[in-house]
Amino acid sequence: MRLEANYVILFLFVSSLFLSGCGDLEKDILVDLPEYENQIVLEAYLEPGKPFRLLLTNSASYFAPFPQEEDQFLQSILLQDATVSITYNNEVIELTNQFSFDAETGKLFNYFNQRNVPEDYEKSFDLQVTTPTGETIMATTKILPVVPIDSTLIFFDEDQDTLARAETYLTDDGDTHNFYRRTVHLGSLENEAEQDFVTDDVFFETEKFFFGTAPDYTIGDTLIFTIYHIDQDYFQFWRSVQLSILSNGNPFGQPSPIISNLGGTANAIGVFTGLSYDREVTIIEK
Amino acid sequence: MQRKPAGLIFAFCFFLNFLFSQDSFFTLSGIISDSQSGETLIGATVNIPQLGTGTITNEYGFYSIQIPANDTILVLFSYVGFQSVERKLFLKGDEKQNVEMSEAGIELEEVVVRANTLEDRVGSTEMSVETISPKEAKLLPVLFGESDILKTIQLKPGLPSGSEGTTGLFVRGGGSDQNLIVLDEAIVYNASHLFGFFSTFNTDAVKDLKIYKGGFPSQYGGRLSSVIDVKLKEGNKKKFSGAGGIGLISSRLTLEGPIKKDKSSFMISGRRTYVDLITNAINNSNRDNPDSDPIPAYFFYDLNTKLNFELGENDKLYISGYFGRDVFNFEGDFFDFDFFWGNGTGTARWNHIFNSQLFANTTFTYSDYKYNIANRFDGFTFEVGSNIEDVNLKTDFYYALNNQHTFRFGLNATRHEFTVGRLQAGSDDGEVAFSAGQDFNGLEFGSYISDLWKINDRASLNAGLRLSGFNNEGTTYFGLEPRAAFNYSFTKKFSFKASYARMYQYLHLVAAAGLTLPTDVWYPSTEKVKPQRSDQVAAGINYLLSKDLLFSVETYYKWLDNQIEFVDGARLFANDNLEEEFAIGRGKAYGLEVSLEKTEGQLTGWIGYTYARIRRGEFETLDPSGIFSQQGYFSPIYDRRHDLSIVLFYELSRKINLTSTFVYGSGDLRWMPLGRFTFQDVYGGNFEAVVPLYADRNNYRLAPYNRLDLGLIINFFPKWGESDLTINIINLYNRRNAFFVYFDPSFREVTDTEGNVFEIPTGIQAKQVSLFPILPSLTYNFKF
Repeated sequence: MRLEANYVILFLFVSSLFLSGCGDLEKDILVDLPEYENQIVLEAYLEPGKPFRLLLTNSASYFAPFPQEEDQFLQSILLQDATVSITYNNEVIELTNQFSFDAETGKLFNYFNQRNVPEDYEKSFDLQVTTPTGETIMATTKILPVVPIDSTLIFFDEDQDTLARAETYLTDDGDTHNFYRRTVHLGSLENEAEQDFVTDDVFFETEKFFFGTAPDYTIGDTLIFTIYHIDQDYFQFWRSVQLSILSNGNPFGQPSPIISNLGGTANAIGVFTGLSYDREVTIIEK
Repeated sequence: MQRKPAGLIFAFCFFLNFLFSQDSFFTLSGIISDSQSGETLIGATVNIPQLGTGTITNEYGFYSIQIPANDTILVLFSYVGFQSVERKLFLKGDEKQNVEMSEAGIELEEVVVRANTLEDRVGSTEMSVETISPKEAKLLPVLFGESDILKTIQLKPGLPSGSEGTTGLFVRGGGSDQNLIVLDEAIVYNASHLFGFFSTFNTDAVKDLKIYKGGFPSQYGGRLSSVIDVKLKEGNKKKFSGAGGIGLISSRLTLEGPIKKDKSSFMISGRRTYVDLITNAINNSNRDNPDSDPIPAYFFYDLNTKLNFELGENDKLYISGYFGRDVFNFEGDFFDFDFFWGNGTGTARWNHIFNSQLFANTTFTYSDYKYNIANRFDGFTFEVGSNIEDVNLKTDFYYALNNQHTFRFGLNATRHEFTVGRLQAGSDDGEVAFSAGQDFNGLEFGSYISDLWKINDRASLNAGLRLSGFNNEGTTYFGLEPRAAFNYSFTKKFSFKASYARMYQYLHLVAAAGLTLPTDVWYPSTEKVKPQRSDQVAAGINYLLSKDLLFSVETYYKWLDNQIEFVDGARLFANDNLEEEFAIGRGKAYGLEVSLEKTEGQLTGWIGYTYARIRRGEFETLDPSGIFSQQGYFSPIYDRRHDLSIVLFYELSRKINLTSTFVYGSGDLRWMPLGRFTFQDVYGGNFEAVVPLYADRNNYRLAPYNRLDLGLIINFFPKWGESDLTINIINLYNRRNAFFVYFDPSFREVTDTEGNVFEIPTGIQAKQVSLFPILPSLTYNFKF
């Protein structure tokens, strides 16, 4: 996302130049958008050792009113009464329509099977969804092997030795086209990520490479580094979600529809993918 | 071997002479120039009233006309704003007459020729052309009091600009990359400073600017939608002189004078902004304040220079150059950011007059555009950039066979070198490195011939053919480009015009946003990326309502092939296979342009109105997931339905001038989301309650744009020269025109039974952002 960030710098610069001292140049307006037909949104991440589970929701027209009561918000978006199954190794695994809350991660799911996802990097998983109106959603994915973090190095700035930055090293398989998602959290995974971006390996000239941070951290800080080894479908989906969010009206932005890997007749958006990652926790010390 | 091309040309001319020889005529030819500065005059008129025939000087000031032998003939030389010159001639053979004309002072008003240029326009085959003089541009300063000739000409019909304040040009449905911008015949790839808010052309250094929107002459090629031909001043051959100005954000100075009087001259011109001097001073004063963040520094500058040598009676050599840079940098304690971009051009031009009928111009040009962004923080560097570099050699011939036929023919070849999306990053110890980018070489070539044929007193036809081509690493394309422009004058005041032009474009601009960005890169045609092509037909009438009031109507239809859009989610930076992100489709554009122009009297100016419609479609692979495939045709963001401009100059007295500009345009289109969804993401990812869902492109039109600017110019006449104080008010009634619209979701904090606090969305508010409120400005200009 660093490259997109350059756009933001350009935009902020131009905006600040002209907006400084020019009074109120922003106003509320009414926007009349064309009609929109709601779509189904699916998020399914198959994580070895975790149950088969996914979230099926409905999208809404952009300016549709939000429910005023908090418990109605979930009700308004969840898609109920669909038939969901995942076929693995010629076995059909039914996911029942039940509300599931993962207390460890704080994530919600409305289709669930308590059986755990196997750690199988060879066989594919096939998703089949039939919506209450009889439309279908289909997708196929595989789980990719974990790419481990080789090491994490901490460096203190020479001028201001109270601030540190980190470099997370890993080794890329030069024979395959790999995609990665990288996150950095300060303190807890529940905090907003300090860094969160996707990339692929086409630019890496060496098999060994690293992801760095800015020198923003002090002694005692806990940093959590995660490297997800993702497939191209997930890469495109996640990137399109970010482009959609970042391009909100930005004249330098690049809007994008959501790029999904879902087939079928339901015209659904979302992603069905495996989830493989390595995570390392580092406490900054000298 | 050296003699072969010249031999062929002479053989060709001899053949034409043989076909159309008129024994009883001699040829009068020469150069027309300004007596004060020695500058050649482009488009000056040479008339022979008793024959009812005439011609105009070409872009190098050369004219050639045939006069009956053994007769005394009155020849009238005229040029707008200049005192006309009459000469009685009795030719006994071909004769050369160089004419110097004096700019008219107030006391000479009665002999100043103005209206004849309108009459010439009525009778000319040239259509879909707009011009503006540097003098007019200076009277209509734009942002912060800066005069900008390229932005001012956008007030003419059919030349809608991009978003608020920008120089992006979208001519008759063409994209911003479909304009051929040439400065002294060298291509300028990015004609803007500060992300498009100013153009690269320093008005003080410009001699002439002309825009072709259609009916393109055969000598031009390489872009689909317009030709913007800018010529720099040659430099005063008579005396040393200068001009300059001090404005709110920049100052400029132009100096010119003879190197050897009447034989050679120089011109040098510079401009620089100084906002960075203020921000640097603020940064220095806050250096010891730990709570202060440094303000990034930004400035741009231009340098223009030209040398002009008269080598002999028939030979002239011009050497000119342009160099401009925008620089944006930031130096923090841990992080440096340097960003620069800009053009450089160089031109060496040799004019040679073979004889009274044959004139040649041979030009060698160099063009370069690059941008570079460099980040550096402790032990790690990151650099991204692109550039395009051209070397061009061309030769053009102008052959006035007789008063009925004027031929132009020529050849050109350009070698392009591209570096597309170069990315280099790595650690200082070399252990880790990233790189990306592609390098291309391309050879573009063209040859053309055209004949301006005066069929009779009423009808004339300019017909031509251009053969163009492009080679890139084994892939070669050729394009045959017929051109024709026809004029039929029912009377001297009323004419009908029609034109057809096919154009090929072999270079493509990779630009995702609607604004002109310095990071936009040029990409060559390849095996997959075919050359763009357009066919345009135009027809119109010109009606001279009075000697100084011209009414024109033009309509056009344009077909566009091999148009490029970017697939959804395209990766446009640091991509080793950029063309995978291209979707190829078609386009069409049509419209009507109406103008009323008054050129004489205390009140002058014009009213221009354009109705236009632009569509793009038949793109096969816009959406990689196939869900949101764009259905049918859609409009690009610059599809502006109505565009009106009213520009008035009022000369209250010799000392006081008033100007007024009113513009109205339909709002631009924007790609807005239709729906929204909630994105949970994985553990550790950021939950997003509102993710916009985009579907069909450019589905929302911003509010109409309108603005009124007023200007007051107070002229002073000190002993040393002239000066003026220009007070300008942009956006007089403080209209908040839309620059962009964004959506602002609001949230409410909720605490669950376990004490966890989270946010749920409660509403979304659309907000419109404008760039400029009412903006007064003050500029001091001087000339000596």
